[in-house]
Amino acid sequence: MKPIHSIIIVLIIILSGCNRNNENNINEKASVSALDALPENPLLLSPITFSINPNKATMSTLYGNKIAFQHAKIKADSSYPNGAVLYEVTWKQKADSLWYGANIPDKIISVEKIQFTGNTAPKYELYAGHPLKKVSSNDENKRTTIILSKGMVETP
Amino acid sequence: MKKGLKIFAILLLVFIALQFWKPEEIEYSTPTKDFTNVPAEVNTILRNSCFDCHSNTVNLAWFDKITPANFIVASHIKDGRKALNFSDWDKLEKPKQSATLYYAFNKILSGEMPLKSYTALHPSAKLEDSSVEVLKNYLTTIAVRKTNPAIPSIAAPKGIEKILPNKKITDYTKVKATLNNISYIPDFRNWKAVSTSDRFDNGSMRIIYGNEIAVKAIAEHQTNPWPDGAIFAKTAWKQKIEADGTISAGAFIQVEFMIKDAKKYEATKGWGWARWKGNDLKPYGDNANFDQECISCHNPVKNNDYVFTTPLHLDINKFNIYNKNK
Repeated sequence: MKPIHSIIIVLIIILSGCNRNNENNINEKASVSALDALPENPLLLSPITFSINPNKATMSTLYGNKIAFQHAKIKADSSYPNGAVLYEVTWKQKADSLWYGANIPDKIISVEKIQFTGNTAPKYELYAGHPLKKVSSNDENKRTTIILSKGMVETP
Repeated sequence: MKKGLKIFAILLLVFIALQFWKPEEIEYSTPTKDFTNVPAEVNTILRNSCFDCHSNTVNLAWFDKITPANFIVASHIKDGRKALNFSDWDKLEKPKQSATLYYAFNKILSGEMPLKSYTALHPSAKLEDSSVEVLKNYLTTIAVRKTNPAIPSIAAPKGIEKILPNKKITDYTKVKATLNNISYIPDFRNWKAVSTSDRFDNGSMRIIYGNEIAVKAIAEHQTNPWPDGAIFAKTAWKQKIEADGTISAGAFIQVEFMIKDAKKYEATKGWGWARWKGNDLKPYGDNANFDQECISCHNPVKNNDYVFTTPLHLDINKFNIYNKNK
């Protein structure tokens, strides 16, 4: 660096003071809140795959508990074992204020839970609204099929 | 008074003498032709606001040529061209051209470009809001995924949906380290998702994974600066459009790591930067300084400890309050 540059930089630092931004940037709005009536926080589980619906401007991530995640790792089919729990979390998208050309999660609009218990068909639950509450769903079977058809996103 | 005059005369002489001392001559005014397939008004804006430092077509003001200003000008132009030279535009492949324009535009939006010191003396290079809007509208048209994609009429082929990790690497110790000496971290798939992003500009989609230390930092609101040991793995896949118009994650593109260690990585803003591309996990970078490229892209978010991602709140305790009350 040329000496003149160092002088200019030092001057700028002195003049501007050290105004370091200490704010914690957390996307609170896109997170699960204490008011949401969910059985657990799905965001703390393991991400299996994710998808985007550009027509609705939403994005979803499929999470699994340990049993579901282990299954998805080795088998790309919907025959999850007993005890497997999946959550499909869907967010409204918003423009990323730090990068024009990207969308990031805004509010959570729905959480879908699929639980495998015993020999019966997997149990489907839908949580929606603000705060999230359990609501009834008209297309349980269709949604279950769609969610279960999603395999693990591939990395080498 | 006479003494003052004398000092002035001496200073003037020194100033005149200084004018014989000039920076190494660089190529200033080779004409650059308009970019093909880019609207005229976009060409004009780029010419007006970027070309002085980012092309071989430079319009110097009279005061730019005076010593010592000319030294600063020459060094700025040299650095500017190194980062991006619009005169080499035609040598870039089309996807690279789009990526370059998006990158440049985000530098403008973040206020980093054009340099404030430059627009202060060359006010005509300042970008009006209307010019920013013109650039934005143009960029929307070159996004890999348009904002309102038509649902593809041809159904995606069925049956080959299940892509099992067939090319899975079995021995990660064989994955080459990057040239800045960072070894591959295969474990990131077991980490939590700190956020996701939909990059319609280049048709990719990303999960940003965070290791345990990063997740703990989020829970404890200690994210600026991030604590030593925090690691992010930003993993990108191609967007794959399904028959119903939704998008799923397609082929793996790359995984990029940011590893926080304020002391060890002091020279690179406190982070170790690494990227592995493709199914063979080829380390990115031609030399050990490739990470300067990472830093200059992340520079607009230096106040966020160089992290673009705004993490989801992963506070376990907060959630438990609800369950306890229930």
